[in-house]
Amino acid sequence: MREVIKLGLILLVITSIAAFVLGITNEVTQPIIDQRLHLQNVEAIKALLPEAEEFELIEDENVTNRSLIVEAYMGIKNGEVVGYTVKTNPNGYNGRVEVLVGITVDGEIVGAKIGQHAETPGLGSKIADAAYIGQFFNKIVSVGFGSTKDVPTTDGDIQVVTGATVSSDAVVDGVNAAGALFEEVLVNR
Amino acid sequence: MSVTSIFLLLVSSILVNNFVLSRFLGICPFLGVSKQVETSIGMGMAVTFVMAMAALITYIVQVAILIPLELEYLQTIAFILVIASLVQFVEMVIEKISPTLYQSLGVFLPLITTNCAVLGLAILNIQMELNLLGAVIHGIGAAIGFSLAIVLFAAIRERLELYNVPEVFKGFPIALITASLMSLAFMGFAGLV
Amino acid sequence: MKLGRIFTRGLVFDNPVFVQLLGMCPTLAVTNSAENGMAMGLATTAVLLGSNLVISLIKGFIPSKIRIPAFIVVIATFVTMVGMILNAYFPGIYESLGLFIPLIVVNCLILARAESFASKSSPVNSIVDGIGMGLGFTVALTILGIVREFSGAGSIFGFAVMGEFFHPARIMTMPPGAFLALGLLAALYNRITSKELNEL
Repeated sequence: MREVIKLGLILLVITSIAAFVLGITNEVTQPIIDQRLHLQNVEAIKALLPEAEEFELIEDENVTNRSLIVEAYMGIKNGEVVGYTVKTNPNGYNGRVEVLVGITVDGEIVGAKIGQHAETPGLGSKIADAAYIGQFFNKIVSVGFGSTKDVPTTDGDIQVVTGATVSSDAVVDGVNAAGALFEEVLVNR
Repeated sequence: MSVTSIFLLLVSSILVNNFVLSRFLGICPFLGVSKQVETSIGMGMAVTFVMAMAALITYIVQVAILIPLELEYLQTIAFILVIASLVQFVEMVIEKISPTLYQSLGVFLPLITTNCAVLGLAILNIQMELNLLGAVIHGIGAAIGFSLAIVLFAAIRERLELYNVPEVFKGFPIALITASLMSLAFMGFAGLV
Repeated sequence: MKLGRIFTRGLVFDNPVFVQLLGMCPTLAVTNSAENGMAMGLATTAVLLGSNLVISLIKGFIPSKIRIPAFIVVIATFVTMVGMILNAYFPGIYESLGLFIPLIVVNCLILARAESFASKSSPVNSIVDGIGMGLGFTVALTILGIVREFSGAGSIFGFAVMGEFFHPARIMTMPPGAFLALGLLAALYNRITSKELNEL
Protein backbone atom coordinates (compact mmCIF):
# COMPACT_ATOMS: atom_id res chain seq x y z
CA MET A 1 0.00 0.00 0.00
CA ARG A 2 2.77 2.46 0.91
CA GLU A 3 4.37 1.78 -2.45
CA VAL A 4 1.16 2.62 -4.31
CA ILE A 5 0.95 5.95 -2.48
CA LYS A 6 4.58 6.69 -3.26
CA LEU A 7 4.17 5.90 -6.96
CA GLY A 8 1.01 7.95 -7.09
CA LEU A 9 2.76 10.89 -5.45
CA ILE A 10 5.64 10.78 -7.91
CA LEU A 11 3.23 10.80 -10.84
CA LEU A 12 1.31 13.62 -9.21
CA VAL A 13 4.49 15.69 -8.90
CA ILE A 14 5.41 15.09 -12.55
CA THR A 15 1.91 15.94 -13.76
CA SER A 16 1.78 19.09 -11.62
CA ILE A 17 5.08 20.32 -13.02
CA ALA A 18 3.81 19.58 -16.53
CA ALA A 19 0.56 21.48 -15.92
CA PHE A 20 2.48 24.41 -14.41
CA VAL A 21 4.85 24.65 -17.39
CA LEU A 22 1.94 24.46 -19.83
CA GLY A 23 0.01 27.07 -17.86
CA ILE A 24 2.87 29.51 -18.28
CA THR A 25 3.28 28.73 -22.00
CA ASN A 26 -0.45 29.22 -22.43
CA GLU A 27 -0.34 32.60 -20.64
CA VAL A 28 2.33 33.74 -23.08
CA THR A 29 0.90 32.37 -26.33
CA GLN A 30 -2.87 32.67 -25.85
CA PRO A 31 -3.08 36.49 -26.16
CA ILE A 32 -1.01 36.35 -29.36
CA ILE A 33 -3.27 33.64 -30.79
CA ASP A 34 -6.45 35.50 -29.82
CA GLN A 35 -5.21 38.73 -31.33
CA ARG A 36 -4.22 37.01 -34.57
CA LEU A 37 -7.59 35.27 -34.88
CA HIS A 38 -9.37 38.55 -34.22
CA LEU A 39 -7.29 40.38 -36.85
CA GLN A 40 -7.84 37.58 -39.36
CA ASN A 41 -11.56 37.73 -38.80
CA VAL A 42 -11.69 41.51 -39.16
CA GLU A 43 -9.58 41.43 -42.31
CA ALA A 44 -11.69 38.71 -43.89
CA ILE A 45 -14.84 40.72 -43.23
CA LYS A 46 -13.30 43.96 -44.47
CA ALA A 47 -12.32 42.33 -47.75
CA LEU A 48 -15.94 41.29 -48.25
CA LEU A 49 -17.38 44.76 -47.77
CA PRO A 50 -14.60 47.28 -48.48
CA GLU A 51 -16.92 50.25 -48.22
CA ALA A 52 -17.64 49.85 -44.50
CA GLU A 53 -15.34 51.19 -41.78
CA GLU A 54 -16.70 49.46 -38.70
CA PHE A 55 -18.40 46.14 -38.19
CA GLU A 56 -20.89 45.04 -35.60
CA LEU A 57 -21.95 41.45 -34.91
CA ILE A 58 -25.71 40.97 -35.32
CA GLU A 59 -27.04 39.17 -32.24
CA ASP A 60 -30.59 38.50 -33.38
CA GLU A 61 -32.21 35.09 -32.95
CA ASN A 62 -33.83 35.44 -36.38
CA VAL A 63 -30.30 35.49 -37.79
CA THR A 64 -28.39 33.03 -35.65
CA ASN A 65 -31.12 30.37 -35.63
CA ARG A 66 -31.54 30.19 -39.41
CA SER A 67 -30.23 27.08 -41.12
CA LEU A 68 -26.86 27.36 -42.88
CA ILE A 69 -26.19 30.76 -41.30
CA VAL A 70 -23.14 30.91 -38.96
CA GLU A 71 -22.94 34.62 -38.25
CA ALA A 72 -23.68 38.00 -39.80
CA TYR A 73 -22.05 41.41 -39.34
CA MET A 74 -23.44 44.85 -40.02
CA GLY A 75 -21.05 47.12 -41.94
CA ILE A 76 -21.18 50.78 -40.83
CA LYS A 77 -19.78 53.97 -42.35
CA ASN A 78 -20.34 57.40 -40.78
CA GLY A 79 -22.97 55.95 -38.49
CA GLU A 80 -25.00 54.51 -41.34
CA VAL A 81 -25.42 50.85 -42.30
CA VAL A 82 -23.88 50.32 -45.73
CA GLY A 83 -24.14 46.55 -45.97
CA TYR A 84 -23.83 43.15 -44.34
CA THR A 85 -21.38 40.25 -44.32
CA VAL A 86 -22.81 36.77 -43.87
CA LYS A 87 -20.95 33.55 -43.09
CA THR A 88 -22.73 30.34 -44.16
CA ASN A 89 -21.77 26.66 -43.90
CA PRO A 90 -23.50 24.57 -46.60
CA ASN A 91 -22.75 20.87 -47.03
CA GLY A 92 -20.15 20.08 -49.69
CA TYR A 93 -18.67 16.89 -51.05
CA ASN A 94 -16.62 16.27 -47.93
CA GLY A 95 -18.22 18.03 -44.99
CA ARG A 96 -19.15 21.67 -44.49
CA VAL A 97 -17.87 24.47 -46.69
CA GLU A 98 -17.58 27.99 -45.29
CA VAL A 99 -19.00 30.51 -47.74
CA LEU A 100 -18.66 34.21 -46.87
CA VAL A 101 -20.70 36.84 -48.70
CA GLY A 102 -20.70 40.64 -48.55
CA ILE A 103 -23.96 42.34 -49.54
CA THR A 104 -24.62 46.09 -49.80
CA VAL A 105 -27.86 47.62 -48.51
CA ASP A 106 -29.09 47.60 -52.13
CA GLY A 107 -28.71 43.83 -52.26
CA GLU A 108 -25.65 43.77 -54.48
CA ILE A 109 -22.96 41.15 -53.84
CA VAL A 110 -19.66 42.99 -53.56
CA GLY A 111 -17.59 40.23 -52.06
CA ALA A 112 -17.65 36.43 -51.86
CA LYS A 113 -15.05 34.08 -50.47
CA ILE A 114 -14.61 30.42 -49.55
CA GLY A 115 -13.36 29.92 -45.99
CA GLN A 116 -12.43 26.58 -44.46
CA HIS A 117 -13.33 23.49 -46.46
CA ALA A 118 -12.11 19.94 -47.07
CA GLU A 119 -13.12 19.53 -50.72
CA THR A 120 -10.96 17.37 -53.01
CA PRO A 121 -7.68 19.19 -53.78
CA GLY A 122 -7.47 20.12 -57.44
CA LEU A 123 -11.16 19.46 -58.09
CA GLY A 124 -13.67 20.70 -55.54
CA SER A 125 -11.08 23.08 -54.10
CA LYS A 126 -11.40 25.12 -57.32
CA ILE A 127 -14.58 26.68 -55.90
CA ALA A 128 -12.19 29.04 -54.08
CA ASP A 129 -10.64 30.24 -57.37
CA ALA A 130 -11.62 33.68 -58.67
CA ALA A 131 -12.79 32.07 -61.93
CA TYR A 132 -15.61 30.39 -60.04
CA ILE A 133 -16.40 32.52 -57.02
CA GLY A 134 -16.01 35.73 -59.07
CA GLN A 135 -19.22 34.81 -60.93
CA PHE A 136 -21.25 36.08 -57.97
CA PHE A 137 -19.68 39.53 -57.92
CA ASN A 138 -21.77 42.60 -58.74
CA LYS A 139 -24.98 40.62 -58.96
CA ILE A 140 -28.22 41.32 -57.09
CA VAL A 141 -29.05 38.61 -54.53
CA SER A 142 -32.77 38.65 -55.36
CA VAL A 143 -32.21 36.84 -58.69
CA GLY A 144 -31.68 33.60 -56.79
CA PHE A 145 -28.71 31.62 -58.06
CA GLY A 146 -28.71 28.20 -59.68
CA SER A 147 -25.96 25.92 -61.02
CA THR A 148 -25.60 25.24 -64.71
CA LYS A 149 -23.13 23.09 -66.63
CA ASP A 150 -23.45 25.25 -69.77
CA VAL A 151 -22.30 28.76 -70.50
CA PRO A 152 -24.38 31.08 -68.26
CA THR A 153 -27.15 32.97 -70.03
CA THR A 154 -28.89 34.84 -67.20
CA ASP A 155 -27.60 36.67 -64.13
CA GLY A 156 -28.68 33.81 -61.87
CA ASP A 157 -26.70 31.17 -63.76
CA ILE A 158 -23.49 30.08 -62.13
CA GLN A 159 -21.29 27.76 -64.16
CA VAL A 160 -20.17 24.77 -62.08
CA VAL A 161 -16.54 23.75 -61.63
CA THR A 162 -16.07 20.84 -64.07
CA GLY A 163 -16.16 17.54 -62.19
CA ALA A 164 -17.17 19.20 -58.92
CA THR A 165 -20.93 19.69 -59.17
CA VAL A 166 -21.55 18.89 -55.52
CA SER A 167 -18.98 21.42 -54.27
CA SER A 168 -20.35 24.04 -56.67
CA ASP A 169 -23.94 23.41 -55.57
CA ALA A 170 -22.84 23.89 -51.97
CA VAL A 171 -21.51 27.37 -52.73
CA VAL A 172 -24.73 28.29 -54.55
CA ASP A 173 -26.71 27.04 -51.52
CA GLY A 174 -24.58 29.16 -49.22
CA VAL A 175 -24.93 32.35 -51.28
CA ASN A 176 -28.68 31.80 -51.68
CA ALA A 177 -29.04 31.29 -47.91
CA ALA A 178 -27.20 34.57 -47.35
CA GLY A 179 -29.42 36.25 -49.97
CA ALA A 180 -32.59 34.92 -48.34
CA LEU A 181 -31.39 36.12 -44.94
CA PHE A 182 -30.77 39.56 -46.41
CA GLU A 183 -34.17 39.79 -48.09
CA GLU A 184 -36.26 38.27 -45.31
CA VAL A 185 -34.56 39.59 -42.18
CA LEU A 186 -31.74 42.08 -42.65
CA VAL A 187 -33.60 44.46 -44.99
CA ASN A 188 -36.43 44.83 -42.48
CA ARG A 189 -34.28 45.65 -39.50
CA MET B 1 -29.78 13.33 -32.89
CA SER B 2 -32.16 11.97 -35.48
CA VAL B 3 -31.95 8.41 -36.77
CA THR B 4 -30.87 9.72 -40.17
CA SER B 5 -27.97 11.72 -38.85
CA ILE B 6 -26.80 8.74 -36.75
CA PHE B 7 -26.90 6.54 -39.85
CA LEU B 8 -25.05 9.13 -41.94
CA LEU B 9 -22.39 9.52 -39.25
CA LEU B 10 -21.90 5.73 -39.19
CA VAL B 11 -21.62 5.40 -42.97
CA SER B 12 -19.27 8.34 -43.21
CA SER B 13 -16.96 7.09 -40.45
CA ILE B 14 -16.87 3.50 -41.75
CA LEU B 15 -16.55 4.08 -45.48
CA VAL B 16 -16.13 7.69 -46.61
CA ASN B 17 -13.71 8.97 -43.99
CA ASN B 18 -12.24 5.58 -43.19
CA PHE B 19 -9.81 6.15 -40.31
CA VAL B 20 -7.00 4.11 -41.82
CA LEU B 21 -7.35 4.60 -45.55
CA SER B 22 -8.35 8.23 -45.78
CA ARG B 23 -7.52 9.86 -42.43
CA PHE B 24 -4.25 7.95 -41.87
CA LEU B 25 -5.03 7.12 -38.26
CA GLY B 26 -3.96 3.78 -36.81
CA ILE B 27 -1.41 2.99 -39.51
CA CYS B 28 1.04 1.25 -37.15
CA PRO B 29 -1.26 -1.65 -36.17
CA PHE B 30 -2.68 -1.63 -39.72
CA LEU B 31 0.75 -2.46 -41.14
CA GLY B 32 2.08 -4.34 -38.12
CA VAL B 33 -0.73 -6.70 -37.10
CA SER B 34 -2.12 -7.62 -40.50
CA LYS B 35 -0.16 -10.67 -41.56
CA GLN B 36 -2.96 -13.08 -40.64
CA VAL B 37 -6.72 -12.67 -40.75
CA GLU B 38 -7.19 -14.26 -37.35
CA THR B 39 -4.92 -11.87 -35.43
CA SER B 40 -6.28 -8.89 -37.34
CA ILE B 41 -9.81 -9.80 -36.21
CA GLY B 42 -8.53 -9.90 -32.61
CA MET B 43 -6.92 -6.49 -33.01
CA GLY B 44 -10.09 -5.13 -34.58
CA MET B 45 -12.22 -6.32 -31.66
CA ALA B 46 -9.84 -4.92 -29.06
CA VAL B 47 -9.70 -1.55 -30.81
CA THR B 48 -13.48 -1.38 -31.20
CA PHE B 49 -13.96 -1.98 -27.50
CA VAL B 50 -11.37 0.60 -26.43
CA MET B 51 -12.49 3.23 -28.94
CA ALA B 52 -16.13 3.13 -27.90
CA MET B 53 -15.14 3.47 -24.22
CA ALA B 54 -12.53 6.14 -24.97
CA ALA B 55 -15.04 8.21 -26.95
CA LEU B 56 -17.42 8.17 -23.99
CA ILE B 57 -14.87 8.96 -21.27
CA THR B 58 -12.82 11.61 -23.10
CA TYR B 59 -16.03 13.41 -24.00
CA ILE B 60 -17.06 13.48 -20.35
CA VAL B 61 -13.57 14.65 -19.30
CA GLN B 62 -13.74 17.48 -21.84
CA VAL B 63 -17.25 18.65 -20.95
CA ALA B 64 -17.22 18.05 -17.19
CA ILE B 65 -13.62 18.96 -16.30
CA LEU B 66 -11.63 20.78 -18.96
CA ILE B 67 -14.24 23.26 -20.20
CA PRO B 68 -15.64 24.35 -16.79
CA LEU B 69 -12.10 24.87 -15.45
CA GLU B 70 -10.97 26.57 -18.70
CA LEU B 71 -8.15 24.06 -19.06
CA GLU B 72 -8.76 23.18 -22.71
CA TYR B 73 -5.06 23.55 -23.37
CA LEU B 74 -4.41 20.45 -21.25
CA GLN B 75 -6.56 18.40 -23.64
CA THR B 76 -3.75 16.37 -25.21
CA ILE B 77 -2.15 15.43 -21.89
CA ALA B 78 -5.51 14.63 -20.25
CA PHE B 79 -6.79 12.51 -23.13
CA ILE B 80 -3.63 10.44 -23.50
CA LEU B 81 -3.60 9.71 -19.76
CA VAL B 82 -7.28 8.74 -19.85
CA ILE B 83 -6.63 6.40 -22.78
CA ALA B 84 -3.53 4.86 -21.18
CA SER B 85 -5.36 4.16 -17.90
CA LEU B 86 -8.43 2.93 -19.76
CA VAL B 87 -6.35 0.41 -21.70
CA GLN B 88 -4.70 -0.77 -18.48
CA PHE B 89 -8.07 -1.05 -16.75
CA VAL B 90 -9.69 -2.94 -19.65
CA GLU B 91 -6.76 -5.33 -19.65
CA MET B 92 -7.18 -6.08 -15.92
CA VAL B 93 -10.96 -6.51 -16.16
CA ILE B 94 -10.79 -8.86 -19.14
CA GLU B 95 -8.09 -10.90 -17.43
CA LYS B 96 -10.32 -11.35 -14.34
CA ILE B 97 -13.66 -12.09 -15.99
CA SER B 98 -12.70 -14.02 -19.11
CA PRO B 99 -9.29 -15.65 -19.35
CA THR B 100 -10.11 -17.01 -22.83
CA LEU B 101 -10.94 -13.57 -24.17
CA TYR B 102 -7.80 -12.27 -22.49
CA GLN B 103 -5.72 -14.87 -24.29
CA SER B 104 -7.03 -13.76 -27.66
CA LEU B 105 -7.07 -9.99 -27.06
CA GLY B 106 -4.43 -9.57 -24.35
CA VAL B 107 -1.39 -9.22 -26.56
CA PHE B 108 -3.00 -6.39 -28.54
CA LEU B 109 -4.14 -4.24 -25.64
CA PRO B 110 -0.82 -2.61 -24.66
CA LEU B 111 -0.32 -1.66 -28.32
CA ILE B 112 -3.53 0.33 -28.35
CA THR B 113 -2.25 3.13 -26.09
CA THR B 114 0.03 4.34 -28.87
CA ASN B 115 -2.57 3.71 -31.58
CA CYS B 116 -3.14 7.21 -32.86
CA ALA B 117 -6.65 6.25 -34.00
CA VAL B 118 -7.86 6.34 -30.38
CA LEU B 119 -6.42 9.76 -29.47
CA GLY B 120 -7.31 11.04 -32.95
CA LEU B 121 -10.90 9.97 -32.43
CA ALA B 122 -11.11 11.72 -29.05
CA ILE B 123 -9.77 15.00 -30.47
CA LEU B 124 -11.89 14.78 -33.64
CA ASN B 125 -15.03 14.26 -31.55
CA ILE B 126 -14.42 17.61 -29.86
CA GLN B 127 -13.45 19.35 -33.11
CA MET B 128 -16.57 18.07 -34.90
CA GLU B 129 -18.68 19.43 -32.02
CA LEU B 130 -20.54 16.14 -31.62
CA ASN B 131 -22.75 15.49 -28.61
CA LEU B 132 -22.29 12.52 -26.26
CA LEU B 133 -24.32 10.08 -28.38
CA GLY B 134 -22.65 11.35 -31.56
CA ALA B 135 -19.21 10.89 -30.03
CA VAL B 136 -19.90 7.26 -29.11
CA ILE B 137 -21.51 6.51 -32.51
CA HIS B 138 -18.53 8.10 -34.25
CA GLY B 139 -16.21 5.99 -32.10
CA ILE B 140 -18.02 2.77 -32.97
CA GLY B 141 -18.16 3.67 -36.66
CA ALA B 142 -14.49 4.60 -36.77
CA ALA B 143 -13.56 1.34 -35.02
CA ILE B 144 -15.68 -0.73 -37.42
CA GLY B 145 -13.99 1.09 -40.30
CA PHE B 146 -10.59 0.30 -38.80
CA SER B 147 -11.49 -3.38 -38.33
CA LEU B 148 -12.90 -3.63 -41.84
CA ALA B 149 -9.74 -2.16 -43.36
CA ILE B 150 -7.34 -4.29 -41.30
CA VAL B 151 -9.21 -7.59 -41.89
CA LEU B 152 -9.52 -6.99 -45.66
CA PHE B 153 -5.85 -6.01 -45.77
CA ALA B 154 -4.81 -9.15 -43.86
CA ALA B 155 -6.83 -11.30 -46.25
CA ILE B 156 -5.01 -9.79 -49.23
CA ARG B 157 -1.62 -10.14 -47.55
CA GLU B 158 -2.25 -13.83 -46.78
CA ARG B 159 -2.73 -14.49 -50.48
CA LEU B 160 0.18 -12.24 -51.40
CA GLU B 161 2.43 -14.66 -49.51
CA LEU B 162 1.81 -17.26 -52.23
CA TYR B 163 2.97 -15.05 -55.08
CA ASN B 164 6.43 -14.35 -56.36
CA VAL B 165 7.09 -10.72 -55.47
CA PRO B 166 10.27 -9.00 -56.78
CA GLU B 167 13.00 -9.17 -54.14
CA VAL B 168 13.21 -5.43 -53.34
CA PHE B 169 9.41 -5.18 -52.95
CA LYS B 170 9.12 -8.06 -50.48
CA GLY B 171 7.56 -7.25 -47.13
CA PHE B 172 6.90 -3.61 -46.37
CA PRO B 173 6.95 -2.04 -49.90
CA ILE B 174 4.42 -4.43 -51.43
CA ALA B 175 2.21 -4.07 -48.34
CA LEU B 176 2.16 -0.30 -48.83
CA ILE B 177 1.33 -0.60 -52.51
CA THR B 178 -1.51 -2.98 -51.62
CA ALA B 179 -2.75 -0.41 -49.10
CA SER B 180 -2.56 2.23 -51.84
CA LEU B 181 -4.88 0.22 -54.07
CA MET B 182 -7.30 -0.34 -51.16
CA SER B 183 -7.29 3.35 -50.41
CA LEU B 184 -8.01 4.05 -54.09
CA ALA B 185 -10.97 1.67 -53.92
CA PHE B 186 -12.29 3.38 -50.77
CA MET B 187 -12.11 6.78 -52.51
CA GLY B 188 -15.04 5.50 -54.55
CA PHE B 189 -17.19 5.95 -51.43
CA ALA B 190 -16.51 9.69 -51.32
CA GLY B 191 -19.64 11.69 -51.88
CA LEU B 192 -21.82 8.87 -50.54
CA VAL B 193 -22.93 11.04 -47.64
CA MET C 1 29.51 5.15 -28.10
CA LYS C 2 30.92 8.12 -29.99
CA LEU C 3 28.62 11.09 -30.50
CA GLY C 4 29.14 11.06 -34.27
CA ARG C 5 28.10 7.42 -34.40
CA ILE C 6 24.96 8.12 -32.36
CA PHE C 7 24.09 10.96 -34.72
CA THR C 8 24.54 9.15 -38.05
CA ARG C 9 22.77 6.07 -36.74
CA GLY C 10 19.50 7.98 -36.49
CA LEU C 11 20.03 9.90 -39.69
CA VAL C 12 20.88 6.94 -41.95
CA PHE C 13 21.53 3.43 -40.63
CA ASP C 14 18.57 3.19 -38.26
CA ASN C 15 16.41 5.69 -40.14
CA PRO C 16 13.12 5.86 -38.21
CA VAL C 17 10.93 5.77 -41.33
CA PHE C 18 12.74 3.55 -43.82
CA VAL C 19 14.36 1.08 -41.40
CA GLN C 20 12.39 1.12 -38.15
CA LEU C 21 9.00 1.87 -39.75
CA LEU C 22 8.07 4.15 -36.84
CA GLY C 23 5.73 7.12 -36.93
CA MET C 24 3.85 5.97 -40.01
CA CYS C 25 0.69 8.04 -39.42
CA PRO C 26 2.25 11.50 -39.78
CA THR C 27 4.63 10.15 -42.42
CA LEU C 28 1.72 9.32 -44.67
CA ALA C 29 -0.77 11.96 -43.61
CA VAL C 30 1.06 15.27 -43.86
CA THR C 31 3.49 14.67 -46.72
CA ASN C 32 1.19 15.99 -49.45
CA SER C 33 3.68 18.83 -49.87
CA ALA C 34 7.42 19.20 -49.18
CA GLU C 35 6.79 22.11 -46.81
CA ASN C 36 4.29 20.16 -44.69
CA GLY C 37 6.57 17.13 -44.52
CA MET C 38 9.50 19.23 -43.37
CA ALA C 39 7.41 21.18 -40.83
CA MET C 40 6.10 17.96 -39.28
CA GLY C 41 9.63 16.57 -39.19
CA LEU C 42 11.00 19.63 -37.40
CA ALA C 43 8.10 19.76 -34.93
CA THR C 44 8.71 16.10 -34.09
CA THR C 45 12.44 16.78 -33.74
CA ALA C 46 11.73 19.57 -31.26
CA VAL C 47 9.53 17.29 -29.15
CA LEU C 48 12.03 14.44 -29.36
CA LEU C 49 14.89 16.70 -28.31
CA GLY C 50 12.96 18.02 -25.32
CA SER C 51 11.63 14.68 -24.16
CA ASN C 52 14.97 12.89 -24.59
CA LEU C 53 16.74 15.57 -22.52
CA VAL C 54 14.18 15.72 -19.70
CA ILE C 55 13.78 11.95 -19.48
CA SER C 56 17.51 11.39 -19.30
CA LEU C 57 17.75 14.05 -16.55
CA ILE C 58 14.97 12.59 -14.39
CA LYS C 59 15.61 8.91 -15.11
CA GLY C 60 17.03 8.38 -11.60
CA PHE C 61 13.87 9.56 -9.85
CA ILE C 62 11.32 7.48 -11.73
CA PRO C 63 10.53 3.97 -10.47
CA SER C 64 10.37 1.55 -13.39
CA LYS C 65 6.75 0.61 -12.63
CA ILE C 66 5.41 4.02 -13.58
CA ARG C 67 7.99 4.94 -16.17
CA ILE C 68 5.64 4.64 -19.19
CA PRO C 69 2.95 7.03 -17.84
CA ALA C 70 5.71 9.39 -16.66
CA PHE C 71 7.31 9.39 -20.12
CA ILE C 72 3.92 9.99 -21.75
CA VAL C 73 3.30 13.02 -19.51
CA VAL C 74 6.71 14.49 -20.40
CA ILE C 75 6.14 13.90 -24.12
CA ALA C 76 2.58 15.28 -24.04
CA THR C 77 3.85 18.42 -22.30
CA PHE C 78 6.38 19.11 -25.04
CA VAL C 79 3.82 18.34 -27.75
CA THR C 80 1.35 20.81 -26.25
CA MET C 81 4.06 23.47 -25.98
CA VAL C 82 5.11 22.96 -29.60
CA GLY C 83 1.44 23.18 -30.62
CA MET C 84 0.94 26.47 -28.74
CA ILE C 85 4.11 27.99 -30.17
CA LEU C 86 3.19 26.98 -33.72
CA ASN C 87 -0.31 28.37 -33.27
CA ALA C 88 1.04 31.69 -31.99
CA TYR C 89 3.96 32.27 -34.35
CA PHE C 90 3.49 29.96 -37.37
CA PRO C 91 -0.29 29.85 -37.88
CA GLY C 92 -0.04 28.62 -41.49
CA ILE C 93 1.88 25.52 -40.45
CA TYR C 94 -0.39 25.01 -37.45
CA GLU C 95 -3.45 24.92 -39.66
CA SER C 96 -2.05 22.65 -42.36
CA LEU C 97 -0.75 20.07 -39.86
CA GLY C 98 -3.97 20.31 -37.81
CA LEU C 99 -4.92 17.14 -35.95
CA PHE C 100 -1.46 15.65 -36.46
CA ILE C 101 0.18 18.10 -34.04
CA PRO C 102 -1.45 16.67 -30.89
CA LEU C 103 -0.96 13.22 -32.40
CA ILE C 104 2.84 13.63 -32.16
CA VAL C 105 2.24 12.29 -28.62
CA VAL C 106 1.48 8.84 -30.00
CA ASN C 107 4.28 8.86 -32.55
CA CYS C 108 5.91 5.56 -31.55
CA LEU C 109 9.32 6.97 -32.48
CA ILE C 110 9.37 9.33 -29.48
CA LEU C 111 8.29 6.79 -26.87
CA ALA C 112 10.67 4.23 -28.40
CA ARG C 113 13.65 6.62 -28.04
CA ALA C 114 12.60 7.47 -24.46
CA GLU C 115 12.32 3.82 -23.48
CA SER C 116 15.27 2.35 -25.33
CA PHE C 117 17.78 5.21 -25.27
CA ALA C 118 17.14 8.32 -23.15
CA SER C 119 16.17 6.39 -20.00
CA LYS C 120 19.56 4.66 -20.07
CA SER C 121 21.91 7.36 -21.38
CA SER C 122 23.54 10.62 -20.36
CA PRO C 123 21.85 13.93 -21.20
CA VAL C 124 24.46 14.83 -23.84
CA ASN C 125 24.11 11.49 -25.64
CA SER C 126 20.32 11.77 -25.44
CA ILE C 127 20.34 15.21 -27.05
CA VAL C 128 22.53 13.96 -29.90
CA ASP C 129 20.31 10.91 -30.32
CA GLY C 130 17.22 13.14 -30.40
CA ILE C 131 18.70 15.41 -33.05
CA GLY C 132 19.93 12.47 -35.15
CA MET C 133 16.68 10.53 -35.04
CA GLY C 134 14.63 13.72 -35.47
CA LEU C 135 16.59 14.81 -38.52
CA GLY C 136 16.41 11.28 -39.95
CA PHE C 137 12.64 11.52 -39.60
CA THR C 138 12.62 15.04 -41.08
CA VAL C 139 14.73 14.03 -44.08
CA ALA C 140 12.48 11.04 -44.80
CA LEU C 141 9.30 13.14 -44.58
CA THR C 142 10.77 15.90 -46.71
CA ILE C 143 11.85 13.44 -49.42
CA LEU C 144 8.40 11.88 -49.42
CA GLY C 145 6.83 15.35 -49.53
CA ILE C 146 9.02 16.39 -52.47
CA VAL C 147 8.18 13.23 -54.43
CA ARG C 148 4.46 13.61 -53.83
CA GLU C 149 4.29 17.36 -54.43
CA PHE C 150 6.37 17.08 -57.61
CA SER C 151 4.36 14.23 -59.12
CA GLY C 152 1.01 15.42 -57.80
CA ALA C 153 1.20 19.17 -58.32
CA GLY C 154 4.29 19.79 -60.47
CA SER C 155 5.95 21.97 -57.85
CA ILE C 156 8.58 21.69 -55.11
CA PHE C 157 8.22 23.74 -51.90
CA GLY C 158 5.42 25.61 -53.63
CA PHE C 159 7.54 26.68 -56.62
CA ALA C 160 6.24 25.45 -59.97
CA VAL C 161 9.14 23.62 -61.58
CA MET C 162 7.36 22.09 -64.54
CA GLY C 163 5.95 23.91 -67.53
CA GLU C 164 2.36 24.02 -68.69
CA PHE C 165 2.81 20.81 -70.69
CA PHE C 166 3.17 18.79 -67.47
CA HIS C 167 -0.08 17.28 -66.27
CA PRO C 168 0.45 16.34 -62.61
CA ALA C 169 -1.11 13.13 -61.29
CA ARG C 170 -3.34 14.67 -58.60
CA ILE C 171 -3.83 11.28 -57.01
CA MET C 172 -0.28 11.54 -55.62
CA THR C 173 -1.32 14.29 -53.20
CA MET C 174 -4.35 12.25 -52.08
CA PRO C 175 -4.31 9.26 -49.67
CA PRO C 176 -3.59 6.47 -52.24
CA GLY C 177 -0.57 8.44 -53.48
CA ALA C 178 0.86 8.52 -49.95
CA PHE C 179 0.92 4.72 -49.66
CA LEU C 180 2.20 4.31 -53.22
CA ALA C 181 5.02 6.85 -52.91
CA LEU C 182 6.24 5.43 -49.58
CA GLY C 183 6.03 1.88 -50.97
CA LEU C 184 8.17 2.79 -53.97
CA LEU C 185 10.65 4.74 -51.84
CA ALA C 186 10.98 1.83 -49.40
CA ALA C 187 11.66 -0.51 -52.33
CA LEU C 188 14.29 1.93 -53.62
CA TYR C 189 15.88 2.07 -50.16
CA ASN C 190 15.98 -1.75 -50.09
CA ARG C 191 17.56 -1.78 -53.52
CA ILE C 192 20.31 0.68 -52.57
CA THR C 193 21.15 -0.92 -49.23
CA SER C 194 21.08 -4.49 -50.55
CA LYS C 195 23.48 -3.47 -53.35
CA GLU C 196 25.85 -2.01 -50.77
CA LEU C 197 25.66 -5.19 -48.73
CA ASN C 198 26.49 -7.31 -51.79
CA GLU C 199 29.51 -5.19 -52.56
CA LEU C 200 30.86 -5.45 -49.03
